[in-house]
Amino acid sequence: MNDTAGQALDCSLSEMVVERVGLGIFVVDRDMNVQMWNRFMHEHSGLSAQQVIGRSLFDSFPDLPRDWLTRKVKSVFLLGNFAFSSWEQRPYLFRFEHDRPITGGVDFMQQNCTFMPLTRGREVVAVCVTIADVTDASIVQREREEALAKLREYANHDGLTGIANRRYFESRLCDEFARWRRHGGELAMLLFDLDHFKKVNDEFGHVAGDAVLRETAQRVSAVVRQENTFGRFGGEEFALLLPATTLDDAMLVAEKVRLTIGSAPVEVDGVHVPVTASCGVAAARAENHDYVSLVNDADAALYTAKREGRNRSVRFA
Amino acid sequence: MPEPFFTETQRDALQEISNLAMGMAATGLSELLDAFIELSVPRVRSVAIGEAAQALREMTGLDGEVTAVRQSFRSGIKGEALVICRSGEIADLATLAQGLGGQSPDEAMSEIELAFDIANVVTGACVSSILDQLGATPVFSPPGLIGGGMSLDGVFRPDALTWDMALLIEVNFSLEDQNFRVHLVMLMAQESICIVRDALDALLGET
Repeated sequence: MNDTAGQALDCSLSEMVVERVGLGIFVVDRDMNVQMWNRFMHEHSGLSAQQVIGRSLFDSFPDLPRDWLTRKVKSVFLLGNFAFSSWEQRPYLFRFEHDRPITGGVDFMQQNCTFMPLTRGREVVAVCVTIADVTDASIVQREREEALAKLREYANHDGLTGIANRRYFESRLCDEFARWRRHGGELAMLLFDLDHFKKVNDEFGHVAGDAVLRETAQRVSAVVRQENTFGRFGGEEFALLLPATTLDDAMLVAEKVRLTIGSAPVEVDGVHVPVTASCGVAAARAENHDYVSLVNDADAALYTAKREGRNRSVRFA
Repeated sequence: MPEPFFTETQRDALQEISNLAMGMAATGLSELLDAFIELSVPRVRSVAIGEAAQALREMTGLDGEVTAVRQSFRSGIKGEALVICRSGEIADLATLAQGLGGQSPDEAMSEIELAFDIANVVTGACVSSILDQLGATPVFSPPGLIGGGMSLDGVFRPDALTWDMALLIEVNFSLEDQNFRVHLVMLMAQESICIVRDALDALLGET
């Protein structure tokens, strides 16, 4: 084979590769007129090379983000640099179908785009754009992000009641306590406990006991502010964090919570289980050097409430 | 400081080439952003791996939290380019990219997309200009975030690197009437430094 024939074969091989490759490839000039259009682009857009070449890309695809695309191409012509677009910021350029219509869960083919300068000497004569189908990778990444979000939620929530668990409550308390030590102001918390809960379990069974805990969490959630962290502290013990709240105001909240819990018996499979709660209230004071000592204050007040006959709120004194 | 890789003549030539290249990059950027871009005189330094983070701190004057976008470039000479700014100034960087042209509301870009865009444009302009002077035409990887709110030490992971010495070229730029600065750092490892040296010799031989 002589050189000329070799070059011709090389050239036609390159052309065949460009035609066959699983990557969208097209070329535009300075005025956004299409100069080249490979088979991937034809198959996914439904428009053949013959139909789009020589015409403005925007005439063939009026849906394209015109300003954005013009700017990308302009920067390549001006600087001779590469430009990129990732599905993570811009899911797609062309509205192409993807090959996961059943399992995909995304609207259009997710695309990574690269804009390359084609130069003659130092002059950029055209811009080549490649479109990579990254639908699969994007789905895997989305699933991973969703799984992580779910894990994060499981890590912070109590499985039975759905409210914050003790670990999360304490981390929030720790942050709020640190803020209070730095900036001053007010910080209070409630620790409350269902009265004679052991008897509920013994008399009505554990299923009823669980239902009472769930109902209690629901009733209290309905009357406390969303931004006040409400958590299950242990067995039948709950805690409510009250930033920017004085001891007097915290007592009002405690009474509201106590009355809400005891407002009506909890109905479990046709059986009415009466419920009351005792509540200990404490506000951060200079003597509290860490958040644990604030919890101890609330716990001491809760103990007093129990000792004084239950179904009442008591402030730490 | 003694320069382990370059003779004084080679070093001067590299500085001269960098100056020339950045001048061209600034012209292109100003035209693209439709604003006057001030580029600093580029600083060229070879560093050992253990000193890389410290050198980067000295060259950029950044201490504290930074946001860094990285891109690879590849030709005979290959390496990585970092665009670094203070974490609090990433929004300013995005504002700068607004100058990239009119935007209709439905084409609004996220802050991170804008930051990637501007980092890519800066990297492309500066790195291409320098390599063009050295007779190389690079191919670039897409920009990626190394991290937001990290320390400069986090940029290098000495235990995971396979080179001992690197060539750093730092340039920073600001926009007229704006007080934030963006830093571009080009990093090339040993094998590329040898190619740079040969290219410099070739250029010096021509004159």
